[in-house]
Amino acid sequence: MKWALTLSIIAYVLLNSAIVRSDPAQQVSTLNELIALFDSSSCRKCHEKIYEEWERSHHARPLMGLDDRIFMAPYLKIGPLAVKPGGKATKANFPCFKCHLPQIKCGTDDVAAEIAEAISKDDKSTVRKLNISCLVCHNEKAVVHGRPEKGVVYGNKDVPEHEGHPVKKSPLLKNSLMCGQCHGLGPNLEFETPVQCATLYGSYLHAYIPSGGSQTCQECHMKNADHYMPPDFNRRDELSARLRESLPLEVQTLAYTFQPVEEKYFPMVVVKTKITNKAGHRIPDG
Amino acid sequence: MTASSPDGKKIFQTSRSYAAQATDSRSSAMVLGPEKKLGLIRDTSIQPFAPKEETIEVPLPSDLRDAVIEVNLSYRPRPGNVYPIHTVVRNVSLDQTR
Repeated sequence: MKWALTLSIIAYVLLNSAIVRSDPAQQVSTLNELIALFDSSSCRKCHEKIYEEWERSHHARPLMGLDDRIFMAPYLKIGPLAVKPGGKATKANFPCFKCHLPQIKCGTDDVAAEIAEAISKDDKSTVRKLNISCLVCHNEKAVVHGRPEKGVVYGNKDVPEHEGHPVKKSPLLKNSLMCGQCHGLGPNLEFETPVQCATLYGSYLHAYIPSGGSQTCQECHMKNADHYMPPDFNRRDELSARLRESLPLEVQTLAYTFQPVEEKYFPMVVVKTKITNKAGHRIPDG
Repeated sequence: MTASSPDGKKIFQTSRSYAAQATDSRSSAMVLGPEKKLGLIRDTSIQPFAPKEETIEVPLPSDLRDAVIEVNLSYRPRPGNVYPIHTVVRNVSLDQTR
């Protein structure tokens, strides 16, 4: 009985550690600890539909590229981000983590090195455990004015009696800035090797909004709170259909004989195309 | 965009790239890939509220009165990785009076 009670207490402590965010000042030093810290599997119990939508999304596999390949593997081997012979990956020389695994800030460089090793070994079962989980968006990234509170999950309304941990309202969750934290402004100059990946949010801010656009990222990419958050680049037909809707194409043709001067005839076809962008950002972008 | 004769022989082909273009900020050469890009130098991408329009003049061989025009729009995030978006085919003729 005593053992059962002790095990229950341990289980409770482990569960709680998995639903709260670590203070970056108290970083974990192993990959398993980091995975446990942001493990959101317990959310599934009550939020099954949302969880399943998320499981299908790129957020559930941010280090996996197209066709189930680890997209960072080539970057670690060749090019400006390659780990130097005898060296180790660190957070500072691993800029992809900023958005593809933002919770890395809660881990030490040892964790970064462990992830790099898993990637180099093509250890997909480990890499698949690294994701933009519920807690990344609903805690770590849910507050930008100061740090998110420990032991709190942020949502669209206050739910103090929420099972296991209180839910506090964060207006940021419905704001495009929420997505803009990762989906991007441009050059990331804070790294040893600066890179520029997504510039999507910059386009939203400086092209869409000044032109009179008023929708948020969430209104187009999370309709009805859908946590699948399209597009999914692995679902090729679905992405093509989404692009067809976002980029209507008009084509006009005119076949005629042009006569610029007397007795000089040039048969030709004039093709006019017009592509309209109905999205809230440039296309392509990321 | 391609233009072909009615028997399928290609007589004209052109293409446009719509993309934000970057260098590594150390040379004037465009680079591909997030690990190399640093700073945009040109942006031909399709912007919101700013339709992208093209006018393409296709000269026809003197012995041809008809042609097949095909316009394709596709998304290519990486070389060889193509997501088709639109294919529009139009049969045109000099004998069709407007």
